[in-house]
Amino acid sequence: MSSLYSLLTRSFRNMKENLLANLATICIIAISMLIFSAFSLITLNLTSFLQLWEKKIEVIAYLKKKIPPPEVEGLMRNIRLIRGVDAVKYVSSTEAMAFMESKLGSQKNLLEGIQSDVLPPSFEIRLKQDYRNSTKIKEVVLQLKEFSPIDEVQYGQEWVETFSGLVHIVRLMQWILGGLLTAAMTFIIANTLQMTISSRREEIEVMHLVGARPSFIQIPFYIEGLIQGLLGAALAMVSLQLLYGVFLSHVTLSMAGWLKKFPITFLPHETVAWFLLGGVVLGLFGSFVASLKILKYSG
Amino acid sequence: MIHVSHVSKTYPSQVSALSDVSLEISPGDFTYVAGPSGSGKTTLLRILFGAERPTSGEAVVNGIHITEKGLGTTYPLRRTMGIIFEEPKLLRDRSVGENIALSLEVTGHFGKKMREKVSQVLAEVGLQAREKDSILYLSAGEQQRTAIARALVHDPPLLLADEPTGNLDLRTTEDVLKIIGHLHEKGTTILFATHDMSLIQRYPHRTVYLEAGKIVGNVRT
Repeated sequence: MSSLYSLLTRSFRNMKENLLANLATICIIAISMLIFSAFSLITLNLTSFLQLWEKKIEVIAYLKKKIPPPEVEGLMRNIRLIRGVDAVKYVSSTEAMAFMESKLGSQKNLLEGIQSDVLPPSFEIRLKQDYRNSTKIKEVVLQLKEFSPIDEVQYGQEWVETFSGLVHIVRLMQWILGGLLTAAMTFIIANTLQMTISSRREEIEVMHLVGARPSFIQIPFYIEGLIQGLLGAALAMVSLQLLYGVFLSHVTLSMAGWLKKFPITFLPHETVAWFLLGGVVLGLFGSFVASLKILKYSG
Repeated sequence: MIHVSHVSKTYPSQVSALSDVSLEISPGDFTYVAGPSGSGKTTLLRILFGAERPTSGEAVVNGIHITEKGLGTTYPLRRTMGIIFEEPKLLRDRSVGENIALSLEVTGHFGKKMREKVSQVLAEVGLQAREKDSILYLSAGEQQRTAIARALVHDPPLLLADEPTGNLDLRTTEDVLKIIGHLHEKGTTILFATHDMSLIQRYPHRTVYLEAGKIVGNVRT
């Protein structure tokens, strides 16, 4: 207990004596982690937006006109046999017209004089959960196109592909930036601690001289790195939460109506915990790199 | 206590500091290692407290073997001894008491027992009134006495002293030697490196003479 007290006392004394350098390090860690976590938050929301949107994806196969009902039945059976197809619903020309009228509401008189057979009959095909992504949808669409009565297949292809690409780019940027920021943070933590170690060179030499274990000398520096990493990460999470609050209260007001329905979520508790743990690990790693210098003063 | 067998030390610059030195020191001995500057006194002591490794040969100190492979870690060896230098090597941002207590803290001693031991050893070196004072306010002699107190606070059986009176005036040197003499009377083994032949004449003990890294004399009183 006394030993732990002594270690903590030495750690805090080190931090106090190099207060400015320590505060600067904590701020730099916080800014770096804020950038990384902001990318994580954006990726998280874009991914869940994509998943939400993919859940609603339906494939519509438009048929050539005037196909006899027995052929429709046979075609439906064959479509159901395609891997990935969950359900198939036939929409006749009349049903399509009725649907359009319901969508137009009070303006349905625009359709007056138009025959229902102008609209082609179609199949609304719902896909299984794991087939609702751009790659798998393409597989289903290719098989659907092999049926000669099917004239055209639509599934919002461009949207899915563009959005998937966007998410992929954001995720890639997150990890590239994350890698660069991690290297920078390790360098900064190690440098700050090396300053502390240099300023305590005499003390380290004397401790070696009077028989201190290497761990007795190194642990306060590890604690210092750990505190820097943890405080930096905590500051980043608090800042991100504040920015998130500002975003929700101001930016979402100007968003388009359909976007308002989409829930913009904060990072889950587990992810926040991972970030804090990441800060701790980073701090420990930086202090480990710096503590190698202690060995130089062991004569 | 100390067994030095055919120890040689050549530095990377090819300077030979010690050449085939063999030496035996029994528990309770007081031994001077004497010789002019550059004779190898400090190198011998540095090997004995694990700061240098011999190029060849072997030294055994308090049962710990020091060979050309060196020590994996120095702390078990250093806990068996006290070391003092010409420069006291004290921490200027700490008080006298804190400097001495450091030697106990590193071995896991804290609290009341530690404070009692610090007071006791301060009384032995005549500095009980200066416990709370900053090192900066001490004279050179008082600083050296603080260094001796730090070296002895954990009751080591061996004291290595590398020119501890080199920076002190005659009167202060006498004070320091009296303290070391008392320790010897209490049974501590002393290995004292000095170039001051008058000091050896005033306080005669066994003396090993070094010259250009070789033992050229071993006089027992």
